[in-house]
Amino acid sequence: MHKLIHMLARGLALIGGIVLVALIAITAISILGRAGATVAYNEFVESNLGFLAEALIASGIGPVNGDFELVEIGIAFAIFCFLPWCQLTGGHATVDLFTSALPARVNRFLIFFWEVVLSLAIILIAWRLGVGMSDKMRYGETTFLLQLPVWYGFAASFAASIAASLIAVYVAAMRGAEFWTGRDLLADSRGAGA
Amino acid sequence: MSNFDIGLWSMPILIALIFLRMPIGLAMLVCGMGGTALILNDTVVLARLKTETYGTFSNYSLSIVPLFLLMGQFATLGGMSTALFKAAETWLGHRKGGVAMSAIGACAGFGAICGSSLATAATMGQAALPELRRYGYSGGFSSATLAAGGTLGILIPPSVVLVIYAILTEQNIAKLFLAAFIPGILAAIGYMIAISIYVRLNPDSAGLRERVPYAERFIALLSIWPVLLVFIAVVGGIYGGIFTPTEAAAIGAAGTGVIAWASGGLNWSSFSRAILDTARNTAMIFVIVLGAGFYNAFLALSQVPQELSTWVVSQGFSPWLVLAIILALYLLFGCVMDSLSMILLTVPIFFPIISGLDFGMTAEETAIWFGILVLIVVEVGLITPPVGMNLFVINAMAVETRMVDTYRAVLPFVTSDIVRTVILVMFPGITLFLVRALS
Repeated sequence: MHKLIHMLARGLALIGGIVLVALIAITAISILGRAGATVAYNEFVESNLGFLAEALIASGIGPVNGDFELVEIGIAFAIFCFLPWCQLTGGHATVDLFTSALPARVNRFLIFFWEVVLSLAIILIAWRLGVGMSDKMRYGETTFLLQLPVWYGFAASFAASIAASLIAVYVAAMRGAEFWTGRDLLADSRGAGA
Repeated sequence: MSNFDIGLWSMPILIALIFLRMPIGLAMLVCGMGGTALILNDTVVLARLKTETYGTFSNYSLSIVPLFLLMGQFATLGGMSTALFKAAETWLGHRKGGVAMSAIGACAGFGAICGSSLATAATMGQAALPELRRYGYSGGFSSATLAAGGTLGILIPPSVVLVIYAILTEQNIAKLFLAAFIPGILAAIGYMIAISIYVRLNPDSAGLRERVPYAERFIALLSIWPVLLVFIAVVGGIYGGIFTPTEAAAIGAAGTGVIAWASGGLNWSSFSRAILDTARNTAMIFVIVLGAGFYNAFLALSQVPQELSTWVVSQGFSPWLVLAIILALYLLFGCVMDSLSMILLTVPIFFPIISGLDFGMTAEETAIWFGILVLIVVEVGLITPPVGMNLFVINAMAVETRMVDTYRAVLPFVTSDIVRTVILVMFPGITLFLVRALS
């Protein structure tokens, strides 16, 4: 079970990362395209290097249409994919200076308790995101440049948030077991700070 | 209870929850939602949640954050830290305390392609710690140097924290980066002076290293061209208006990715580690940003920041005294909390106060100057005991060094930070010089 959840969280984070890299590539291509178009429509190039301008224009060079809309959709999806890995590895920023003076058992209880609250919050967010998605479907809203239905972006993030909710429940349960048994079952939970 | 009271009471409650180890972003989220529900009602909160999370996570300006984090990861894999350190060492290594100075110089260079303090401290620690020890630098001094050097990662643009500040206060990212430049260089110089004083007072804490011929120095300098290229593309591109900041961050990540690949440092296992690290930090930051969004909207609803600002201004306090108190509070909080949470938690409260006071500058200049000052004082928190994160990161690498020794040796660096802050407060023109000159 633990192995499966671990693989799921890791796999999701990697998928998010690959989306991130793809967005970097789209942005870079878009910038190159924009630079190419600037060259093609440059007066000097048009009058002196006509063949180059023509070739560039014929190739349909230009920025990727609506690249930032893709970035927005992709980045939201990626971040939802990143959430479970952060939670599983205890990566959320906390201040443990004051509680570190308390017995280990109290600390385990606090970690467990906040993990339950965090998991409830993630489930709440996923639920509202789903409602938000159905709103967008009903209104038929589309993005400005690409005319993509806005709910596509919501749907991608919603799918990732469902996975995040499942993993959140598992992590909370494991923190409960850690409190109960007094043994470390998950990775260290002392993550703090950026 | 009036709305204002609810807003006011939320603050000690929030702090108490955070001190009880509640994840900071979650605490702000819960307080923000709870407070909004008290002032308005829970339907509003549930309605806002439908689009707020997606809206925050898909924010185009905020997408800079994961891109800069990934860029820092790639920069680490590209081995640029070693090249930078070697280059700095050929020029500075033979001086008294020179190897430590080289580590500071290399940190500054690495900070120019990395937007995070911890990443800079960790990476430069790997490159420089063995060398420092080899030339007889004491353990505590070596660790303290690298922890302090790490803070240059965030002072010298690009900087993740400045991006967040820019978004919070609706300032121009390009101008903030430009303003951070001179204070960043001053920080590096200040640390080198601190080193030079320290080794004169403690002669046995550092050994000597032989001088390197000039030919070798220039060859070493040439080897850091990829760093320069990426820095110019990112910061120059943003400032020149060629790229949006997000595009520049993407170019930076692509550039450092290519460097890492060309140097042979990028394979599937190192790539996936870089991604997982980016994922962890990105998720952490966005949960805080999401929580802060809710909490700050609630505070604005309760009118607390506005009332507080009006009150402070009407009391006729000296603006400089108010600024000094705010900066001192940051220093204090910096000892227990990470810089990003601190900025997201406090800037919405302090910024209206500062904006309401007259420092003899335009509103924009005041905002930029205050941003840089805040950035510096929260970074001091990274190297002040007891919870200076950079100290922990470095100490985890230098296991044989006692934490107490590091705490003791970091004092000259903290002193240098405080002296620099005072100078920058007294002479805003230093911070604003480049912004004024280039606009």
